[in-house]
Amino acid sequence: MSTGVAHLDTSTVPARGARVVTRGLTRRFGNHLALDDVSLEIRPGEAFGLLGANGAGKTTFIRNVTGFLLPSAGEVEVDGFSPVRDPEQVRARLGFVTETSRIYPDLRVSAFLRFCGGAHGLSGAGLSEAIARVVQRFHLEDVERRLVSHLSKGFLQRVSLAQAFLADPPLVIVDEPTSGLDPLQQEEVRSVLRGLRGERTLLLSTHDLGEARELTERVAVLYHGRLVAMGATDEVLAGEPLALFRGEECP
Amino acid sequence: MKPLRALIRKELTVLFGSPMAYVSLTLVVLVTGLIFFEHLRIYNQILFLYASNTMGGFDTSTIPDQVNIRDTVFFPVMENLGITLIGLIPLITMRIFAEERSRGTDELLVTSQLSPGRIVAGKFLVTWSFVVLMMATSFVYPAMATVEGGIGLQNLLAIFIGLSLHAIGLASIGLACSAFTSSQLVAAVAAWAVGFVMWDFSWANPIVSESVARALDAIAMHPRYASFSEGIVDMADVAYFAGLALLCTSVARLSFDWRRVVG
Repeated sequence: MSTGVAHLDTSTVPARGARVVTRGLTRRFGNHLALDDVSLEIRPGEAFGLLGANGAGKTTFIRNVTGFLLPSAGEVEVDGFSPVRDPEQVRARLGFVTETSRIYPDLRVSAFLRFCGGAHGLSGAGLSEAIARVVQRFHLEDVERRLVSHLSKGFLQRVSLAQAFLADPPLVIVDEPTSGLDPLQQEEVRSVLRGLRGERTLLLSTHDLGEARELTERVAVLYHGRLVAMGATDEVLAGEPLALFRGEECP
Repeated sequence: MKPLRALIRKELTVLFGSPMAYVSLTLVVLVTGLIFFEHLRIYNQILFLYASNTMGGFDTSTIPDQVNIRDTVFFPVMENLGITLIGLIPLITMRIFAEERSRGTDELLVTSQLSPGRIVAGKFLVTWSFVVLMMATSFVYPAMATVEGGIGLQNLLAIFIGLSLHAIGLASIGLACSAFTSSQLVAAVAAWAVGFVMWDFSWANPIVSESVARALDAIAMHPRYASFSEGIVDMADVAYFAGLALLCTSVARLSFDWRRVVG
């Protein structure tokens, strides 16, 4: 696992990937039930897709796993740690790419990566090595000195992905990574994500069926906050997958 | 500490990478300079009126003791600066948390090794440092001109401490307001409202009982600030501003828990 997260005991962090378990996960916003009793398990090292139409509850599910939101009922565990009770342990295992690239426009790419690495506990030579590694991996050499506000959407998403890998986390959560990108940029991002399969646990939220087929081994489908299907990607998406998005019967 | 250091470095880069820092520093120096020189002009006019005699000569012995640079220039300038800061500091603090929220970068922060407590600590420390720097630059004119005017270095230091604590208190109020909204305008308006209301409660005296008036006076900023302006460093006044800053950091910290519950 990470070479630079010095202030946490990372000896218990598994090398290949983290296990994510949710039991009866429920989240309400006032009277609106955004997640309804969702129980699932994501295995270590697995590329897992979270599917559903817009508003199905994918982002709410992810925010409960990262600890950004508290569940109304039920529980979440990441390698046995709860984002509610042990948020530092969960954050030590987590790399997160948000739905739209959320990056400080006033920073240069190198300064942004330096900040993100530092915020994940990296410093000194470890931080410089981590930055060099992700810059090479995500092909950011040409834009390293550029201001974030001057980047194209494709590059923004690459920078966003790069920051999630700085601390070499066992769990990477990617929320709709190709949303708003043109077809070429989508292919760029997908090719990056394809290369990550098997390295660590990948939780990918998407409403793009092709993306799910291409990048994930198993998927879960949410409809109005309820889990309506879960299984191997090819099996779940065989037949009429759009029926699942409409909340019709599971295959 | 590494994540906190990284956050402080990032905050400083963003702050000094934008024109906001330089505009607000310039604005404070300009406003202080204008207020100062206006009072200096009035002071000179009063001196001239008192000292001019009917024979066309100039007699300084006719100038009353209360007409001096300390009471006629320095204290009114500090009083005006205290009120000016209530209007100015929310313009600096409004973006600190609200902008993170409107851009969605707060999610990036809280999923890193930065706990909400560290995020609040980093942002407050940087903002406090900036407003103290702002006070130092605005203090140059009055300080240089009044060292020779009977203020004394010790008194000057007390006044600077008071001014800095007042600015820190206002910055803390602004940051606490910014932590609860994604709108910079709402953050600024809320900070102005709290700042102006807390400045002086004497307006409420005719409509509240004596005991309530005393309680309101105890939480008002102006009596504490005025005490420093007279060159007195009272630990009760220092504790007041420290308590205000601590209360605001706790409120800002609570905003993270509140957001986790409310969404």
